Amino acid sequence: MKIKNGFVLRKVGGESVVVPVGAMSKEFHGMINLNETGALLWNFYTEDHTVEDGVAALLAEYDVEEEIARRDVENFCKVITENGFAE
Amino acid sequence: MEQEKYKIEDVMREKGAYIGPTVGVSMLPMLKNRRDTIVVRPKTERLKRLDVALYKRGDAYVLHRVIQPIEGGYIIRGDNCYADEHIPEDAVFGVLTEFFRKDKHYFCTDKKYLRYAERRVRSYPRRMFFLRVKNKIKAGIKKFLRIFKKKDKKES
Repeated sequence: MKIKNGFVLRKVGGESVVVPVGAMSKEFHGMINLNETGALLWNFYTEDHTVEDGVAALLAEYDVEEEIARRDVENFCKVITENGFAE
Repeated sequence: MEQEKYKIEDVMREKGAYIGPTVGVSMLPMLKNRRDTIVVRPKTERLKRLDVALYKRGDAYVLHRVIQPIEGGYIIRGDNCYADEHIPEDAVFGVLTEFFRKDKHYFCTDKKYLRYAERRVRSYPRRMFFLRVKNKIKAGIKKFLRIFKKKDKKES
């Protein structure tokens, strides 16, 4: 999975928000609030990676059980895909 | 994660700030159309000179600079605009507090930013003068070309 081009992740006051830029800002009218894990995964999936890669990235960053990491990554990928942010 | 279809006032009320793309050229050279990101917070006090105010013109949102606070409102102008607007106090509901230009993060309290804002406002008469000269030259060239074309037609 890879996140489409045309979005930037901004950190404002400790919060991570994704906003559209360029042509994408004509199509997408909204802002996406991400928690810390979401921001990490968003950055990670700006390049093409599998779910397994995402799980490995979370495990490398956080002291968390693999099952929980997998659930988080799968949820993230599902939401991203369902909302049309993935290529 | 949540995705929202927004009305800026509602987002600001709910989240405390609106963070989104810039649209338009009226705040060039500071903010470039659909490249940069603005952070706007609800207005909590009367704005000062050089603050950048968010208000609505019809259904369109406008983000322009306060040139002078006046009784009951503000004289406001975009950095890339030549006309002043008189906007009533209650029409202004937000103020720019931060922005990302390209990928660089600026706060509207930064000294460097405030120096830019001051320079931009002060350079207005000079920019206006050059605009008038440019328009006169353009009009002169057009007039000349019109006469030249008429002459050509008559001769042929």
